[in-house]
Amino acid sequence: MTSDKSFFDFISNGLPGPELRKDADNAILPARKLAFSRFRALGLPSVKTEEWRYTNIQRFLKDSFSLAQEEGTISAEQLKLTDIPQLDSYTAVLVNGRLQPALSKLPAEGKVTISKLSDAANNTQLQLWFDKHPHLQQQPFAALNAALFADGLFIEAGVNASLDKPLHIIHIYTTTGNAFIQPRHLMVLHKSATLEIIESSVGLNETAIAFVNSVTEIVLEENAELWHYNLQISEKNSRHIYHTSTVQKADSRYHHFNFTLPSAELTRNNLSVALTGSNTETNLHGLYLATDQQHVDNHTFVDHLVPNCNSNELYKGVLLDNSNGVFTGKIHVHQDAQKTNAFQQNNNLLMSEKASINSQPQLEIYADDVKCSHGFTVGRFSEESLFYLRSRGIGEEAAKTLLVNAFAFDITDQVHIPALQDFLSEKIRKYVSGAINN
Amino acid sequence: MRNSNEIIDDIANKEYEFGFTTDIEMDIAPVGLNEDTIRFISAKKQEPEWLLEWRLKGFQAFKKMKFPEWQHFKMPELDLQKLSYYAAPKEKKKLNSLDEVDPELLATFEKLGISLKEQKVLAGVAVDVVFDSVSVATTYRAKLEELGIIFCSFGEAVKHHPELVKKYLGTVVPHSDNIFAALNAAVFSDGSFVYIPKGVRSPMELSTYFRINAENTGQFERTLIIADESAYVSYLEGCTAPKRDENQLHAAVVELVALDHAEIKYSTVQNWYPGDKDGNGGIFNFVTKRGICKGNSSKISWTQVETGSAITWKYPSVILQGDNSEGEFYSVAVTRNKQIADTGTKIYHLGKNTRSRIISKGISAGHSDNTYRGLVQVGPRAANARNYTQCDSLLIGDRCGAHTFPYIESRNSTATVEHEATTSKIGEDQIFYLNQRGIETEKAVALIVNGYAKEVLNQLPMEFAVEAQKLLSITLEGSVG
Amino acid sequence: MLTIKNLHAEVDGKQILKGINLEIKRGEMHAIMGPNGSGKSSLSSVLAGRENYTVTEGEVIFDGKNLLDLSPEDRAREGIFLAFQYPVEIPGVSNLNFLKTALNEIRAYHNLPSIEAKEFLRLTKEKQQLVEFNANLMNRSLNEGFSGGEKKRNEVFQLAMLDPKLAILDETDSGLDIDALRIVANGVNKLRSADKAFMVITHYQRLLEYIVPDFVHVLYDGRIVKTGSKELALELEEKGYDWLKEEVHQKESV
Repeated sequence: MTSDKSFFDFISNGLPGPELRKDADNAILPARKLAFSRFRALGLPSVKTEEWRYTNIQRFLKDSFSLAQEEGTISAEQLKLTDIPQLDSYTAVLVNGRLQPALSKLPAEGKVTISKLSDAANNTQLQLWFDKHPHLQQQPFAALNAALFADGLFIEAGVNASLDKPLHIIHIYTTTGNAFIQPRHLMVLHKSATLEIIESSVGLNETAIAFVNSVTEIVLEENAELWHYNLQISEKNSRHIYHTSTVQKADSRYHHFNFTLPSAELTRNNLSVALTGSNTETNLHGLYLATDQQHVDNHTFVDHLVPNCNSNELYKGVLLDNSNGVFTGKIHVHQDAQKTNAFQQNNNLLMSEKASINSQPQLEIYADDVKCSHGFTVGRFSEESLFYLRSRGIGEEAAKTLLVNAFAFDITDQVHIPALQDFLSEKIRKYVSGAINN
Repeated sequence: MRNSNEIIDDIANKEYEFGFTTDIEMDIAPVGLNEDTIRFISAKKQEPEWLLEWRLKGFQAFKKMKFPEWQHFKMPELDLQKLSYYAAPKEKKKLNSLDEVDPELLATFEKLGISLKEQKVLAGVAVDVVFDSVSVATTYRAKLEELGIIFCSFGEAVKHHPELVKKYLGTVVPHSDNIFAALNAAVFSDGSFVYIPKGVRSPMELSTYFRINAENTGQFERTLIIADESAYVSYLEGCTAPKRDENQLHAAVVELVALDHAEIKYSTVQNWYPGDKDGNGGIFNFVTKRGICKGNSSKISWTQVETGSAITWKYPSVILQGDNSEGEFYSVAVTRNKQIADTGTKIYHLGKNTRSRIISKGISAGHSDNTYRGLVQVGPRAANARNYTQCDSLLIGDRCGAHTFPYIESRNSTATVEHEATTSKIGEDQIFYLNQRGIETEKAVALIVNGYAKEVLNQLPMEFAVEAQKLLSITLEGSVG
Repeated sequence: MLTIKNLHAEVDGKQILKGINLEIKRGEMHAIMGPNGSGKSSLSSVLAGRENYTVTEGEVIFDGKNLLDLSPEDRAREGIFLAFQYPVEIPGVSNLNFLKTALNEIRAYHNLPSIEAKEFLRLTKEKQQLVEFNANLMNRSLNEGFSGGEKKRNEVFQLAMLDPKLAILDETDSGLDIDALRIVANGVNKLRSADKAFMVITHYQRLLEYIVPDFVHVLYDGRIVKTGSKELALELEEKGYDWLKEEVHQKESV
C-alpha cells in the first residue's frame, strides 16, 4: 500500500477502495463506498480551489506516506509527556487513533459510554450520524477519511448525563516510517447531557512524518452542552488536517476552544457548526501561536439555518519567525434564520519581519432581521504599551511576553478549568520568550 | 425622425427614466468577433499599426481565457459572437462647433440632463460625451488647452498625442489582465483621454457621460488619465442606457496613473438600465478599473454610486507603488428586484508608509444579491502601511442577500490593517420615529438610506452628490412595505 | 379634543390596556402616573400608532377623526406629538434636515407651501432659545452620540418646532438630573397655551413640581383606577402605589 512516489500521485491515482479495511463487511461499508466515490469526484484541492487558496496542500503531500496504520506503542514515560499538571480528569489514551484502555482512566460504566468506534459499528447513533454532516460533503479530505479511516473514539452521553470531572482525550501519534493516519470520532450528547472534554494531540516522531487526517463529528441534542477544548501541541514532524463538525439542536450550547501551539509544520482546522434548532448558543474561541516555518490555517463555518440563534467567534493569532497564519471564517445566515445574532472577530499580531497572515472573514446573509458583524485586525504591539512597561523597569522580553499574554487573555480567560488555564499561559510564555531570544 | 411628443412618450414609464432610445443613423460593424472585426474597427478609426498590433495581442489573450468562476453569482452565458463591436453615429465629419452636432443627439443629452451647450453646462464642469462607443463632443476644450490640459476622446488622443498613449496604454490594466479587459483591448472603440501637465490643478471637474443606444452592441470604452507630477484632477463618469429585453454588455477599462505628488479623484454614478422587475434585460457591467500611484506621495481616490445594471462586476483598484502614497475607495451599491452586484476594491500596498481607506455601503432590496469583495494586500516592503476598511450592509426585506467577502494578506509586521463589517436592517423604531414626526415611510427610508450612505456621498463633487441622493431615493421607491 | 373610550390593546398576544377612558380638552395638562408595567408607555404607543400594538376594543376620537384609522405619520400631521422615552439615533441624518423634512411634510398635508429657508432658520433660532437647546447639536446626526439629557431636550425642541395640538411626553423626566429636568420643564411650560393640550406620563411626582397638571390619572393594570387633582400626585409620592393596588383588588373581590 505504500508507494515510493509522492503520496499526492498515489492517492490521486492508484488508491485502493474501502474494501481494504478489515471491517469491510460491516454496516457502514456502503457509506464508506459512497464517501470514496465522493472523494474521487471532488479530487485533491490545489491553491486554485477557493477553500485552499492560502494553503498549498500539495506541498505537504509530496513525500511518500503509508496508509497502513501501525498500531504503535508508547512507554509510560512517553505518556507522561502529555500530562497537564494539576489536572484532575478521566483520560482516554489513543495511539494512532486506537483507544488503549490499559493506559486510560475511563469513568465507571454509567450513562456515558466511551468505546472504540469499531466496537460501536452497529450502534444506531453511528448508523444515524456517520458521515452525515452537511459540511463534510464538500471536503475531499473528510471524504477520504470516511472511506478509509481505521478507528477512533465513540462517546455517547445519555439523557441528563454528565461526568464528575472532565474527560481528557490524549491522541498520540508515533510511527516508524512516514504514515498517513486517519482517525475518526463520533460524540453524541443526548437531551440535557453535559460534558467537558479536553483533547490533546501529541506527536512523538523523531524522524518519520505523521500526516494525520482526522474527523470528529459531534451531535448535541436538545439542551445538551459541550465544553470542548482542543490542544494541538504536536511536535515538528507532523502535519494535521482536523475536521470538527458539530450539529446543534434546539437550546444546546457548544463552547469550542482551539489552541494551536508550536509546532506541527502544517495545521489545518476545518471547524463547522450547523445550527438546526432554535435558541442555541455557540462560542468559538481560537488561539494560534506559530513559530519557525509553521503554517496554521483555521477555517470556520457557522451555519445559521433557523431563527433565534446566537454565535460568537473570536480567533487570535500570534505569528513569530517565518510562520504563516490563515483564517477563513464564514457566517452563513439563511433566509429563515431571522433574529440571528452572529459575531466574528479575528485579531493578529505579526511579531517578525518574515511572518505573514491571510484572512478572509466572510458574511453571507439572507435574512434581514439579524445582527451580524465581523472584524479583522493585524498589527504589532503598541509601542506605547511596550515603552510604558519598560519605563517601569520590565525587560523587553518580559514585557513582550506580558503583552502577548494580555493579547491572548480574551481567549485564555474563557477557559473554565484553572489547571488548563495555567498550562496554556505557561506554554505561551515559553514559546514567546523562546522566539524572542532566537 | 420622430417628433418630440413621441420621444416624450418613450419616457412615460417612470421606473427607469432614461430607458428611451434615440433614432439616429448609425455606423454598425457586422455581428461577430474575429480578427477581421478588430481590423475593421482599427481601420474605421484610422489607427496606427502599433495600436492594431496591441489590439490583436489582446484578442490572442482573450481567446485563451475563461470566464471567472469565483464571483458570488452564476455567470450568465454570454455569446460574444452575437454582438456587434462597433456602433457610431454617422456623419462623423469633423465638427467645428457644437452647433454641428446632430440635433437629435443634442436633444437626447438635454433629456438626460446633460447639456452640451457650454453656457448651459453645470458651472465649471467640462463634459466628454460617449454615445454608444464613440465620443461625440467635448466641452470647454479651449479653456483647458490654455493650461496644457488634454481632455479629448481616446481616438483623438491616438492621433494627436500618440507618444503619451503609447507610453501609458496597458501599463495599469495589461491587455491580458482578465477576460473582459482582454476583450476590451481587442475591440475598444473610444473613450476619454486626460493628461494634466506638471503642477497643474484642473480648474474644473472633467466628466464623461456614457450612453448605450444601439441594439445588440456592446460598449467597450477605454479611459486613460495621467496626472503628471503635482497635478490634480477630479473626474466624473455617468451613464444610462435604453430599456431593452436583451442584456447588453458593457466591458470598459479605466487606467489611472498618478506621478509624484499627483492626485486623481475618480467618481462614478452608474445608472445603467437594471432590467425589469423579473430580471429580464439590463446591462451586464463587467468593468476593470485600476489606478497606480506610481509616484511618491501621490493619491488616487475612487468613489462610486452604483444603482443600475443587471449585473455589476467591478473592483476599482489602487496599486500603491510610491512611498507615502494613498488610496481610497468609497462605494454605495444599491440592488433591488433581481439585480446582482459583486463589487469592491483591491488595494496593493507596495511602497513604504502607504495608506488606504475603504468605505463600502451595500443596500439590498427585493430579490437582489449584493456582495462586497475586497482585497487588501500588504507586501514585505510596505513598512508602516495602514489600511482601514468599513463595510456595512443594509437589508430591506427578507428576500435579498448581503454578503461580505474581504481578503486580507499581510506580509509586513509593521503594517496595521483593520477591517470591520456589519449587517443590519432599517430599524422599525427608526421608521416609526420618523412616521411620528409626520414623514411617510417611503420618505423615511430615503432619509435613512441617504444618511447611511452619507460618508460616501460626501466624497462626490457637490453637483453630483445632489443627483446621487435623488437617484438613491428613486431607486428604492416601492422597495418598502 | 381627544376622547378615549374603553380602549383595549394587546402586544404579542398579551393584553396591556384593559379599558381606558379619558377625555382631554384644549389647554389642559394631564398627568398619567402609575407603577412600572401598568401600561403608561403602551398608552402613548397606541396613541402614536406603533405597529406591534393591536387595538382589540374601544375607540379614540381626535378632533372628530377616528385616530385609530390613521397611519402614524397622519396622526403626527393631524397634530399628535410623542416625545419618546428612548429617542432613536439615526446616523448620517442631520437634525436640521430631518426637522425641515418633517415640517414640510406636515405643511403639505395641510395644503401649505414648503417653508422658506430664511423663515425656517428664523423659526429654528427662536425655538432653540425658547427651550434652551444647544445650537451646536443642530448640525449633528439625529440624536447620534447625544447624552440622555440632550436627547430629551431635542424632543422638546422638536415639539416646539412642529407645534402639535396634543403633546404626549413619555417619561421625559426619566434619567434626567435636576438641572436638565428644570430646563425641559421650563421648555414645556413656555409651550403651554389655550389651544394645546399635554399628556405627561411619569413615574415620579418630581416632574409635576415643575409642570403643574390640571388632572392626575393613575394607571394600574391597564386601567385608570383613580383621577384627581395635582394633590393626588403628592399623595402617591408619600404613600406609594401599594394602597391603590389594594383598593383595586378589594373592589374586584367584592
